Amino acid sequence: MASIGVMDASEMTTRELNALLKKASKTEDLIEITNPGARHNIVVGILDECHIKINGSVGYYSASLLDGPTVDIDGNAGWALGENLMTGRINVSGDVGASVGASMRGGDLFVGGDAGARAGISMKGGTLLVTGNTGFLTGFMMQKGRIVVCGDVGDAVGDSMYEGIIYVGGEYGSLGSDAEVAEIDEDELLDLWSLLDSNGVKSKPDFKKIISSKRLYHFDSLERLELASV
Amino acid sequence: MCGIGGIVYRDDAPRGSHPVGDGLIKMLQSLAHRGMDSTGVTVSGGVFEASLMVRLWVEDGYILESVFSDVGNAVKEVGGVIGFKETKGRFLRLGVTSECDVRALADVLFMLEGVVVHSIGENSEVIKDIGMAIDIDGRHNVSGLYGTHGIGHVRMATESIVDITHSHPFWAYPFPDISVVHNGQLTNYHKLKRHYEGEGYQFQTQNDSELIAVYLADKLFQDNSLEDALISSLDDLDGTFTFLVSTKDAIGYAKDRWAAKPLVTMETDSVVAVASEEVALRSVFSDEIRRIEPQQSEVMTWQV
Repeated sequence: MASIGVMDASEMTTRELNALLKKASKTEDLIEITNPGARHNIVVGILDECHIKINGSVGYYSASLLDGPTVDIDGNAGWALGENLMTGRINVSGDVGASVGASMRGGDLFVGGDAGARAGISMKGGTLLVTGNTGFLTGFMMQKGRIVVCGDVGDAVGDSMYEGIIYVGGEYGSLGSDAEVAEIDEDELLDLWSLLDSNGVKSKPDFKKIISSKRLYHFDSLERLELASV
Repeated sequence: MCGIGGIVYRDDAPRGSHPVGDGLIKMLQSLAHRGMDSTGVTVSGGVFEASLMVRLWVEDGYILESVFSDVGNAVKEVGGVIGFKETKGRFLRLGVTSECDVRALADVLFMLEGVVVHSIGENSEVIKDIGMAIDIDGRHNVSGLYGTHGIGHVRMATESIVDITHSHPFWAYPFPDISVVHNGQLTNYHKLKRHYEGEGYQFQTQNDSELIAVYLADKLFQDNSLEDALISSLDDLDGTFTFLVSTKDAIGYAKDRWAAKPLVTMETDSVVAVASEEVALRSVFSDEIRRIEPQQSEVMTWQV
């Protein structure tokens, strides 16, 4: 039987909350946070596998610098939710602000509502799934991983992206610099629909696939580790 | 960085019955982490026992009594009758009970040394001071001000000096009841300021945000609608901005083409609230109301 810890965020400073949480994440399997009050930096720097449930909205840079936990947010989130996510999973039931999943390296980030501008900015791995719409510069300077948006995407999608894939279920405003639309094959589409299904999304959008044209950067100069594998 | 917020009550309750000041103070205090240099509000839709309400501040180094007497003479000079006068330290709140041309009144007050006019309004007043929201509420009893709508600002200075004069909101000389709060930086400020000075507009500060007030005033003077003025600002103003404007009977926002500065909005049949962050909305309104984050190049207006 999982042990449960409950923390009332209104009774402590954010620093106290995160310190307590870090300690609890090593021993508890399920931790609940109540009254987050849309404050910033709620749940930061947790490096252990555990389940954290937040009852309410959180502010900027919440659920960031995580490596392992599953975080469920029943509410909205501010800017840069899930920044630098390494492994684990973040679910938000509502809307999120700009720069969701900024620089994430791995793991899964699920947004039940809409996201603001620069969703998945500088993303380096993992999956960012947005059920609603995303804003301007979605996937800006993206380097790896995939962004799946079931709704519409704003202007300049995939601007200056290096690698990775952006799937758009609805319409996009315009393509960013050095981004292009690629053919999507049937297996890929089935794979995406199964991803949606496993996240409880019942629609089956006819996804468009956006990738880098690779004319903006020098893609032939490899990193040291990449050279070793050639 | 700065924080901005606004509220519009749009139910059938009588004018001046809503706790606009209290709501703005709560929202701005919850945004204190976005700026603690100064705080200011415009409370609009109030019921005044005067045709014009003047809010002004006397700069340090000037003798209060003598400046106050100069102000009295200046008001008389343009045919104004002072119905009531309240002072709090170096701040003066003046009710002008006779009909009086706002531009003429502003011009004579601007001429006085040491006087900084914060606002001249038919149904609104600007209160701004150094410190956090709770500090200015303690000094000026902002939470005791009622109305229908208003906007507010907490400042972390980036462009100009930290003092009362350079605090937001900025009144749009010489138009009563138009004022602006701004989060961001304008990069074509000097160029546009020179242009508007040439057109006869007066600037009281070196703050780039004051330009937005003058810009909108000019557009409205040329019979543009508030919404059209906001739309044209997206092209005419260069830099990063999300700003709010308050008029006699509406508030509106414009968010720049880079979506560089945050804003969230919430709306019910009876009330609209907007703020830099959700934490400000939740300090006044229920968790249940959905909040929307506007995207880039968006404008919106709400009527009282």
